[in-house]
Amino acid sequence: MNDTPYWNPRHETMPRDQLEALQVRKLQYLVEWADSQVPWQSNRLRDAGVTANQIASLEDLRRIPLMTRDEWMQGQLEHPPFGPILAAPQDAATRYHMTSGTTGKTPIRVLDSMKDWEWIAEMWCYGLWGFGVRPTDIVFVAFGYSTFIGFWGLHYACEKLGCLTLPGGAMTTEQRVKQIMEMGVTVVASTPTYALRMAQEAKQLGIDLANGPVQRLILSGEPAGSIPATKKLIESEWGAKAGDTAGMTELGTIMIFECAEQPGGTHIIEDHYIEEVLDPGTADPVPYGEMGERVVTSFGRGFIPVIRYRTRDFVVKVPGSICGCGRTFDIFEGGIRGRVDDMKLVRGTNVYPRAVEAIVREHPEIDEFQIHLYTAEGRRDEIELLVEIPGPNVDAEHLVSQLQKELAEAHEGLRFGVKKVDDETLPRFELKAKRLMDERILIGTEGEQRERA
Amino acid sequence: MKNVSGEELNPAQEKLVETYRLLSNVLMGHRDELAPYEERNAVKALAALWQVMNGLDLDPGQVYELGA
Repeated sequence: MNDTPYWNPRHETMPRDQLEALQVRKLQYLVEWADSQVPWQSNRLRDAGVTANQIASLEDLRRIPLMTRDEWMQGQLEHPPFGPILAAPQDAATRYHMTSGTTGKTPIRVLDSMKDWEWIAEMWCYGLWGFGVRPTDIVFVAFGYSTFIGFWGLHYACEKLGCLTLPGGAMTTEQRVKQIMEMGVTVVASTPTYALRMAQEAKQLGIDLANGPVQRLILSGEPAGSIPATKKLIESEWGAKAGDTAGMTELGTIMIFECAEQPGGTHIIEDHYIEEVLDPGTADPVPYGEMGERVVTSFGRGFIPVIRYRTRDFVVKVPGSICGCGRTFDIFEGGIRGRVDDMKLVRGTNVYPRAVEAIVREHPEIDEFQIHLYTAEGRRDEIELLVEIPGPNVDAEHLVSQLQKELAEAHEGLRFGVKKVDDETLPRFELKAKRLMDERILIGTEGEQRERA
Repeated sequence: MKNVSGEELNPAQEKLVETYRLLSNVLMGHRDELAPYEERNAVKALAALWQVMNGLDLDPGQVYELGA
């Protein structure tokens, strides 16, 4: 059985009708559990007139109101530190974690019990096993271990698989790269940005990563793991396959992973989640192949039941059958496409950081970049791209001009300033990269007097 | 033995289910008779085997009252 490409072969290849029946049964239980244990959830369900025994199909899920991050954070402020969302007493918990604090006034704080923590690792096992990680692998986790949940679940999953697991916290990039080589590491887990950062460091140290022992990279934490140009660059720098995953603190773990077939997207772990894709404006479902906001319902973490949570992530769902791996789990084509909040309006044109990165990463001569939005002459939105081009033999002037052309073509003719800046002057990131600086005083030039977000 | 979906489990899977139920019963009924190392390791094993029960569609419910 251990030669199977699936962590749970029966579930991962289950016919869709059976998979949906399983989801309905789990949804009934989840609603019953939340209703009986969490008064806050119970009130919401009662107001919507929903009880567990009324749920007969996945259509009934839509009767349950959507839950937002703002509601979660407000609940925490009113009932600190966790809000009114816990379904079990705090003394049953063995783990405390929180979000990285990049969005909102207060981080989301969560608790997990021993069983929930095992489940969190279990979800990572779907992704690791599915991408080809096996007990004989040596895994380096390039992650600053802290209360930010990050790669904690991956670490425990690697131990569960039986891999030799190297916790790469509290180390410099140089130390990490050296240890990866010295220990013959075969799998590295990191953010896409940090995978590139380690590759830069290796070059400076004269280490040939591409001919080193690493065969796989497990990427998470940023959408870039599914941007083809970024993935291609990472794979070429490391001489290894790069697999995308995505998770969130609100769930405790990953909900999607790229399988070894690399179909250009990430399978949804549908025996543990329902992932809806809705129009962010109307909250109506969008069909396969159209972009919308992901809304997640999780069957896993009993401590904090999550039902119809608006993630603000943009995704495009397609049937699992587009992949040759045999899984029936649907796919988010291109992984997480970005966040609803990431989109910037510049002189009437939508600009997505992910789309800019996709263009920049087509040029491996660029080491680091930053998107800078500012207000010119107190009234006009401007956008510029700052780039580091360290290679002494690169025609930087030509590259800058080429970038200007490509960015404008991809953005309805919007004029981008592109500036070469001194090497090592732009910030480097270990976790979630923040490459967009919005320093506009006003948004828009059409008389809108709203202050910048 | 069948799961909730009506599928037959194989003999190896049945043994795992029996082990989980045995562990659960020990923790529910005989906790006070266990030394710390016995009790805590049993809870940890239960948390791991819960994943098997869940994956086999046996709807194991929650086990917070057992400390897992």
